[in-house]
Amino acid sequence: MSQTILEAENLCKFWGGLKALNELNIQFKDKQLHSIVGPNGAGKSTLLNTLCGAYPATSGVILYHGKPITNLKSYEFCRAGIGRSFQKTNIFHNATCLENCCIAAQQRMGGSFNLFKKRSKNRQITEIARSALEQVGLAARADTRATEVSYGEQRQLEIAMVLATAPEVLLLDEPMAGMGHEESQTIISLLKELKKKYCIVLVEHDMDAVFELSDLMTVMVDGQHLITDTVENIRNNPLVQDAYLGNDDEVF
Amino acid sequence: MSIFSNKSEKIFIYLFFAIGLFIPLFLEGNTFFINKFSTIIILAIFVMSLDYLVGRTGLITLGHAMFYGLGGYIFTILAPEYEAVNFWVYTFYVMLISGFIALIVGLIVLRTSGIYMIMITLALAQMSFYFFADSIEYGGQDGLFVYIKPETSIFGLNFLDLENETHFYYLCLLSLFNCFVFFKIIMNSSFGRVIDALKENPDRATALGYNIFHFRLIAYVLSSSLAAYAGYLFALQFGFVNPSMMSWDVSATALVMALLGGQGSIYGAIIGSFVYEGLHYFIEHLTEYWMFFMGALIIALVLTLKNGMAGFLNTLSGGKRS
Repeated sequence: MSQTILEAENLCKFWGGLKALNELNIQFKDKQLHSIVGPNGAGKSTLLNTLCGAYPATSGVILYHGKPITNLKSYEFCRAGIGRSFQKTNIFHNATCLENCCIAAQQRMGGSFNLFKKRSKNRQITEIARSALEQVGLAARADTRATEVSYGEQRQLEIAMVLATAPEVLLLDEPMAGMGHEESQTIISLLKELKKKYCIVLVEHDMDAVFELSDLMTVMVDGQHLITDTVENIRNNPLVQDAYLGNDDEVF
Repeated sequence: MSIFSNKSEKIFIYLFFAIGLFIPLFLEGNTFFINKFSTIIILAIFVMSLDYLVGRTGLITLGHAMFYGLGGYIFTILAPEYEAVNFWVYTFYVMLISGFIALIVGLIVLRTSGIYMIMITLALAQMSFYFFADSIEYGGQDGLFVYIKPETSIFGLNFLDLENETHFYYLCLLSLFNCFVFFKIIMNSSFGRVIDALKENPDRATALGYNIFHFRLIAYVLSSSLAAYAGYLFALQFGFVNPSMMSWDVSATALVMALLGGQGSIYGAIIGSFVYEGLHYFIEHLTEYWMFFMGALIIALVLTLKNGMAGFLNTLSGGKRS
């Protein structure tokens, strides 16, 4: 069994009286794709945002390699190795795809406070950025501005940027949101490759994709952890069917 | 790769500095125009430093004139009254001290952003305005006078006599050139990459692991000390400093010039200041109500030219929108 990298213990996030995350305990293991599903408002995105440091937790602990990182500043999470992609495409639209990844890679490689060295002179960064683009299959778009590529490609770029930060954990927030079938297939095959190397936490509404990709699944309801199990067991679990899958009227 | 981001910029810069170099020969000692050009060039340095902050870093400030005024005051207060000091040494002092002040001010104002930052920079600038306007020691409303201009010898060589208008003009032109090159270099650097990123999408830059506060602070300090340098040149040219240099309308006018020139283009600051001051000069001579016509014209220009004059030139030369 592979080791646990990222862990949440009794994690709570309250928005005023609303308990978006309530006493959540969850563990993510290396080289596994762990997806989190649940109806709208179950707290999936909140969980990701808390795990990547964008929202400070109300209480509870986040452990990374067994060490608490709950009190790190939001920008330090990425430096620690927790990369995150966004539900709403969140890229630098005016820069080229390559430049987008360069921005990501430069953080790790340093030299960001160098006022005088030309950015293009830093070959190492460009290479990392290129290989990140290649990994997601965007190498041909390297010099195209990010606004000019298709929506699906922007989603791929989003993942490439996370990869360029050399993370250990990938927190992916609905990477397939708003995609057509073919585009989704691209992402699915990409994620299949990536899960061999990274610990991936996936929040996704496309259930076919989730069933196809997941090693482990967690079902969340109302900010609470309902069950964590393998895909097969989740499919057959009456509790889950009740809460989420079984009801045909449910709109995801 | 050259330092220019597009063709129109390259053409403009070459043309501008070529004309700038030779224009005193044609003016044949017409000191009025030489002085006028020096003033506008000093203004262009100030506007350029503001444009870097507003257009490149995305920090909108209405208090940039504080540093413009401080530059003048720092020199006048520091320099002995009846003794010629060295220009380069005092350039260093002025920029260092104003940079230090900018560091402190930046630590405060950069905690805010957007409209709040506009308000707090404005408030701080007005505070320093009233501080100098009410201080007896620093001359109150009348300000302070520069009786002796600095000498400019460097390693015993002395090329420039600041009492001479043409020499002073060349000093300003050189400063503007250096300023432009400096900004282009930092824009193309690794630091510039982060600045571009955090201007467009600060949240994403944070998610990528950048502490954007540090980068903004550095940009703020750089820009402010160059604004102070412009104020220092202003003090040398006119031989005085007074609180009106710090008043909020100086910041606002500079902001208009930066927008007019094309925000974020840096070289647009030069165009903006020359167009603004040129219009000012001509309309002022036509009618008493120059402000009315000037205002109308500027509104028209800003509305019609989306990316300012620089954007317009870029379209003219067939460049793509950037």
